[in-house]
Amino acid sequence: MPLLEFSNVSKHFGGLQVINNFSFHVDQGEIVSIIGPNGAGKTTVFNLITGIYTPDKGDIRFEGKSLLGLEPHQICARGIARTFQLLRLFLNMSVRENVMSAAYPRTHSNLAQIILRTPGFRREEDRIRAMAEEKLGFFGERLAGAFDQLVYSLPYANRRQVEIARAMATEPKLLLLDEPAAGMNPNETQEITQLIGELRTRGGYTILLIEHDMQVVGGISDRVIALDYGEKIAEGKYQEVATNEHVIEAYLGRRHKPFEPGSQGAGEQG
Amino acid sequence: MASEPLTARRRGGSEIVAQALERWNALSGSARFFILLAAAATVPLLISNDYVIRIAGNVCLFATLAVALNVVVGYAGLLDLGFIAFYGIGAYTYAILSSDQFGIHWPSWASLIFIGLIGLVFGLLLGSPSLRLLGDYLAIVTLGFGLVFAQLALTLDRVELPWREGTVNITGGTNGIVKLDPLNFFGFQLSNVTHYFYALLIWLAIVLIIVHRLNQSRIGRAWRSMGEDALAAESMGMPTRRLKLLAFSCGSAIAGITGGIFAAWQQSVFPQNFSTDVLITLYAMMVLGGISNLGGAVLGACVLAIAPELLRSPELSRLIFYSALGLGLLLLMKPRRNGLIVLVSVIGLGVLLRLIVQAAAPDLLSPPTIRVAAASVSTALDRFSQQFGIYVQSWILVLKEPLLPGNIAFVVMIPALLALSRMKPGRLKFGLTIPAIYLLIFVWETRLAAEPAVTRLLLIGGLLVILMIFRPNGLLGRRKVEIV
Repeated sequence: MPLLEFSNVSKHFGGLQVINNFSFHVDQGEIVSIIGPNGAGKTTVFNLITGIYTPDKGDIRFEGKSLLGLEPHQICARGIARTFQLLRLFLNMSVRENVMSAAYPRTHSNLAQIILRTPGFRREEDRIRAMAEEKLGFFGERLAGAFDQLVYSLPYANRRQVEIARAMATEPKLLLLDEPAAGMNPNETQEITQLIGELRTRGGYTILLIEHDMQVVGGISDRVIALDYGEKIAEGKYQEVATNEHVIEAYLGRRHKPFEPGSQGAGEQG
Repeated sequence: MASEPLTARRRGGSEIVAQALERWNALSGSARFFILLAAAATVPLLISNDYVIRIAGNVCLFATLAVALNVVVGYAGLLDLGFIAFYGIGAYTYAILSSDQFGIHWPSWASLIFIGLIGLVFGLLLGSPSLRLLGDYLAIVTLGFGLVFAQLALTLDRVELPWREGTVNITGGTNGIVKLDPLNFFGFQLSNVTHYFYALLIWLAIVLIIVHRLNQSRIGRAWRSMGEDALAAESMGMPTRRLKLLAFSCGSAIAGITGGIFAAWQQSVFPQNFSTDVLITLYAMMVLGGISNLGGAVLGACVLAIAPELLRSPELSRLIFYSALGLGLLLLMKPRRNGLIVLVSVIGLGVLLRLIVQAAAPDLLSPPTIRVAAASVSTALDRFSQQFGIYVQSWILVLKEPLLPGNIAFVVMIPALLALSRMKPGRLKFGLTIPAIYLLIFVWETRLAAEPAVTRLLLIGGLLVILMIFRPNGLLGRRKVEIV
């Protein structure tokens, strides 16, 4: 049974068909990338999985159970966490608090316990504090020593890592990463590629990735799915998809020319 | 090493202040909290003046409300303009449960707990339909709720019930409900202003501890996350609807109980105690102190509850005006000696103008209007400020007909000050500062003579504007801007 299964999903906004009869699946332990030109509907796929949108047709199943009708926070509690393309961190909270806040679905202290500061509450607080530090420790030097800094004072690349750490703090089985390399320089891109690999090997997460940077996609994906106008135009190994005629056409237009990896600009709205 | 005593001596006073601040900051949060609490508790011991203790009680009352408002607006990011209604509901509930209105006299502890529950229920009632509303829309709906409460308080004095003859008086309309029972805890009756000050101070301390503890927990973090980015919070597993309701209910329960204590203190409730003015004052306190900062809310309440009282006498507000002006000039102009030059030049300009007018048209001038009151009926500070006023009036132009020149000067002053603030630093700006400040003083004096009450409010407004310019995030607020 696949971990995540997207079957025949359609979604439209007004007259615009954003996702059209789209099916795919993610198996346990895989890294799957979704690529596609601007406006192909990639981020919509994430919004459908996390319950921000509900599909018009089709079904989304996680571990065999349908996610339809669940609120985003319930879907998160089931074990799916995401990052955002344009970063949605809690800017005026410290790095540590950002990560600790995401432990909400995994903590249970109630009002009375909090106000009386019972031993149970203190233990839980210590536990999630340690957990936050462990998740942040995953990112090595970049975030070491910045745990108490407010997030708005961090540089961009470090913020992305805080956002990934925050997603990890919800203890997900599936991580959805929306363009983790957007706006990064080549060094940082390399770093994040390596990190995504480690998220699987050391962290044990299954990863669904939206990415524009072909270096990242090619470097780590088990499978690549290409999306255009809300429809799947290709699926397979990176090499197969990158040389697929439809994909090249979708990205570059109808003149046949060898595809140049990494030529796409960053910061698109999927 | 050898030069150390020298630098220490040169720094002098500011060094001592800096050291004291450092020590203060090194203390743990709870130590600072209890030191300040103990300091506040000594107010009635040091000053036996009922008026001063009443103001201190007011500060506690408003600080509690500002802290509760901060939970809803500061942490959870819900712009709640109906907040004052919960305060009013608490006060009216206490009034109904502890007066001859219906002949009900509950014990105080039971009333206050009941009021807390009522607050929770009304918080849920208002919260549930507004869950899907965001920002401005929520503000409109809650504002409507506040206005409905004000109307009901006014009109529920003649309610017709189908099963009874005649009408029932619930809220007393404009006459309110009077002769309420004082608070009485297990035989100890709160009978004077000092008792109520301590009750309010203890209640403030309890609320601060509760809110602080909530803030440092999963719930507080979730509130703040939601306030910053509700979609991200929801996606990270926080049930934002339930959290919103919880924030609403916490805020309204605290406001309700505070209202109950207020009603008992005043021994009466009237609709105008819960007007939109009070709401705006509360918001100003919270914003001035710095949103989502508990210490800030308390500090804001101190400033805005004390300032109008200080400015109650025109002479005292004159003293404050000139102190603020002089301090501002001396502290803000760089180098410092420029401030002194401006100050001396303004006085020189005043003397010169006065001499010219005295020589050319002595009929225009009026003698000083202030008299120093006898020592038996006034405090030393009053007499000092009156004497100060006489000095000022013998220096500035005090006109017999101040209204028209004052208004003209007022209209000229605003664009002049704005233009001045836009000019590039230089000799011209420096030179023009002197007449501009003289103009400001002239306007202040003529307006103060004509309309003391309005001018006082203008001073508060001006002080707020200046404070917010220098501390855009409030006195204790943290920076809320993003630097990428």
